[in-house]
Amino acid sequence: MDWKGYTVIYVVLFVFATAQAVVEFAGLVDSAYWAAFALIMVLSVIKAVGVAAYYQHLRWEPRAVTYLVLGGTVAALALTGAAAYSIL
Amino acid sequence: MSHDHEHGLPPKSSVSRWFLTTNHKDIGVLYLITALFFLVFGGVLALLFRLELISSGADLLGSMGYNQAVSTHGLLMVFWFISPFAFGFANYIVPLQIGADDLAFPRLNALSYWLYLFSGILMGVSFFQGTTFAGGWTMYAPLNTPAYIPGEGLGATSVVLALIMFTAAVTLGSVNFLTTMYRMRAENLRMRDIPIFSLSINLTVWMMLFAFAALLAALMILASDHILGTTYFQYSIDGTTMATDADNPGASLLWAHLFWFFGHPEVYIVFFPALGVMAECFQTFTGRRLVGRKWFIISMVLVALQSFVVWMHHMFLTGINLPIKTIFMATTIGISLPFDLMVFSLIYTMAKGRVRFTTPFLFSLGALILFIIGGITGVFLGAIVLDYQFRGTYWVVAHFHYVMVAGATALFGGLYYWYPKITGKMYNETLGKIQFGVYFLGFNLLYFPMFIAWETPRRVFVYPDGLQIWHSMATVGGFILGASFLLMFYNLFVSLWRGEDVGPNPWEYATSAEWAVSSPPSLENFPGVPSYATGKLEFLDEEAVTERTESAPGGAAHGHAATDGGTATDGGAVTARAAATATAVEPAHEVGGEEHASHASFWPFLVSLGGFIAFLGLSGVRTGSVFYLSMAAVGGVATFGSLVGMTREPFHAPEMAIAERWPFERVEKMKLGMWTFLASDIVLFGAFIGSYAFVRVAYGWTAWHHDLIPAEHVTMPGLINTYLLLTSSFLVVLAMVAAERESKRGTVAALVGTFALGVGFLINKGIEWNHLFHISTETFPNGWGLSTNIASSTFYLTTGLHGAHVTIGLIICAYMTVRAWNGAYQGDDRAIEYFGLYWHFVDIVWLFLFPLFYIL
Repeated sequence: MDWKGYTVIYVVLFVFATAQAVVEFAGLVDSAYWAAFALIMVLSVIKAVGVAAYYQHLRWEPRAVTYLVLGGTVAALALTGAAAYSIL
Repeated sequence: MSHDHEHGLPPKSSVSRWFLTTNHKDIGVLYLITALFFLVFGGVLALLFRLELISSGADLLGSMGYNQAVSTHGLLMVFWFISPFAFGFANYIVPLQIGADDLAFPRLNALSYWLYLFSGILMGVSFFQGTTFAGGWTMYAPLNTPAYIPGEGLGATSVVLALIMFTAAVTLGSVNFLTTMYRMRAENLRMRDIPIFSLSINLTVWMMLFAFAALLAALMILASDHILGTTYFQYSIDGTTMATDADNPGASLLWAHLFWFFGHPEVYIVFFPALGVMAECFQTFTGRRLVGRKWFIISMVLVALQSFVVWMHHMFLTGINLPIKTIFMATTIGISLPFDLMVFSLIYTMAKGRVRFTTPFLFSLGALILFIIGGITGVFLGAIVLDYQFRGTYWVVAHFHYVMVAGATALFGGLYYWYPKITGKMYNETLGKIQFGVYFLGFNLLYFPMFIAWETPRRVFVYPDGLQIWHSMATVGGFILGASFLLMFYNLFVSLWRGEDVGPNPWEYATSAEWAVSSPPSLENFPGVPSYATGKLEFLDEEAVTERTESAPGGAAHGHAATDGGTATDGGAVTARAAATATAVEPAHEVGGEEHASHASFWPFLVSLGGFIAFLGLSGVRTGSVFYLSMAAVGGVATFGSLVGMTREPFHAPEMAIAERWPFERVEKMKLGMWTFLASDIVLFGAFIGSYAFVRVAYGWTAWHHDLIPAEHVTMPGLINTYLLLTSSFLVVLAMVAAERESKRGTVAALVGTFALGVGFLINKGIEWNHLFHISTETFPNGWGLSTNIASSTFYLTTGLHGAHVTIGLIICAYMTVRAWNGAYQGDDRAIEYFGLYWHFVDIVWLFLFPLFYIL
């Protein structure tokens, strides 16, 4: 990937970060908390995938590297999700 | 004078050799001896409290002495004995079995060992700081926090820090083993074909990589509660009493979740290497390949995966809800099924073969019998209704000793099995068999009465009078078990001098690759480059390697064959095609210059020593003592200086010229090591974020922000820091692009920019924190500090951990900037890419911290 491609990714990340703050500044967090929560977290996930895929070059690595990363992610999500559910 | 092949290491007879060595076999021996020392340490403590239990009451050790002895025994045996003992074998044997000349990162391996040793020393020192930790090896909250620990509790803090040091050693070891096993297998050696012991270690380190990261998170949080005053694991304290308006209802359950998410995989982390030893010994001493080998392996993989979804069966007596208990009961019962298959595989291998009752086989068979009893009694505990009755009783104590010490039993078999390989001498077989008899008798006399006396409350020195006979029997059994080790130590020690010399393979039917080389093996392990290209082990000379690399980079792939078990050979499944040249020419994988650079390094020892001093100092900083503060400062400086020294030391451990590398063929070893480390770091941060989510759910997700967080905690500082980190990530990739184009100016400029933005991030964070510390509002008249409430604790600790990652990244970035200024990286951007992997990961973590801690 050349510098132009990296720049496009950077601009997208910058805009998405701003969008997350705008959601709060617009009062959505107060008026519709869970909709704002979902929107903000989805934006975070998209940004994270963008950084991993393009800046960390996961897109061009063997899939096994992606599975390695997913293994850690799934473990962390399993702990978080199951633990939180256990006290609902 | 050192021969080239000694890689600059002094001879083994020299004490300095053992401080300088980075060789996997030396380090394996160090692990074995150190682990056996901790076995004795933990064993003596066990004998002490067994003496105490001859009669009800604490009339020998006293109540606090009893609690310390029990807690330390558990911690020592689980952490400092069993796994490190297994990893002594793993260090020595795995590279030999897979055809590697060492681990991928030899100095990192030495660092793992020294961190392990010094963590154990710190554990021992904790006894001299008043009292050591006395709240049981599971360290349940809130009894693990200073407010609930008698006295100053500095010894308990040292134990927490010792465990952190130990966990760091484990994480480094996991990264090292995984990188080795995926990048350094002999040509044509598929993962599924590696000997079963190595395979068991592979699955063990996968579990360690993720499970210990969760433990590390739990321990770091606990250490923060001890040292910094955060309030994760304790309820609000109002003066000297527990406040009625406690703001952290999830405290003790959080510890249980974090600990058991690690703790249950830990059972298999302990047991898998033992299974590997059992499978090796069953094959060798029955002359049969493991029956159903493929299904045995599939079962192990299933257990490794399932081990992460059974942890809540340790929490059936807590307030978690019934649906989740039911789910975890099902997963727990389910995990016994693959174990059944493995047990039947071992039994059928024995039935189909011709058994030779050598000492290693006796220990392996004994381990199988003990494990079957331990496994069956454990299924009782997986059922919710039975667990209500058995939890917290000696049923649990008996069950897990039948499982864990069954694992240790197999490992003692492994010690006899590989003793000839490691020493070149044969032990006394008769004495070995006698030891097994005494051991097996002592074991069962010690632990079986505990099933009968199951109503004895666990961790308590008072029990009903009617149970005294069983406890007395157990105590006698404990001393018999202890005596059996005297026989083992005598046998193995005396055999070093009096034992018969052995050749490469003293066992008639052993066929894995370690038996194809001399006993003990040479420093280089093999007389050439190992290859299974023809389906059998061969050692290629320089010419053959050159041919192979020129004609088919990455290695040929035909005639796959399992590398252990099988029918009898003439003393090893080996055809040494180039063996005649092995002593006359340089080993083929060592050609090309720098490979003969010294592999002696004092830095791993010094880094660990510095860490030990720093952690000992940290254990007492909350007292404000000049002594402890000075130790922390001196230790910190020594650690940092040693790390710099280690970085600057020339050390070359090249990749093998040809090797089997599926599924990471195109991922160079440094890159794979970095990715593996990051996978572990994902779990570390995941556990921190998960802890935040858990305590927030426990408190009330939406009320949290309103009740616990001041209005002065606003979004803007977080948004600015997001921009700074995103821009710094962008500059790292630009540095890569510039290095590729061989633009020194561009590389330096981009790295300087990255550094400046990272510093800006920290300054912005510092300003924000300083502001929050000193706010004065109606709700928070004394500022919003680390101890104010659970929300402030989670905020400062989680973002602080992230800030620490940024700081480490900045140190690396500064170092790389200087190197780039001196002309490094031009035309080779790999080092910048690897740094970038870390830096972008830090960026990604912030992408989640920003919304969670600043917006939502």
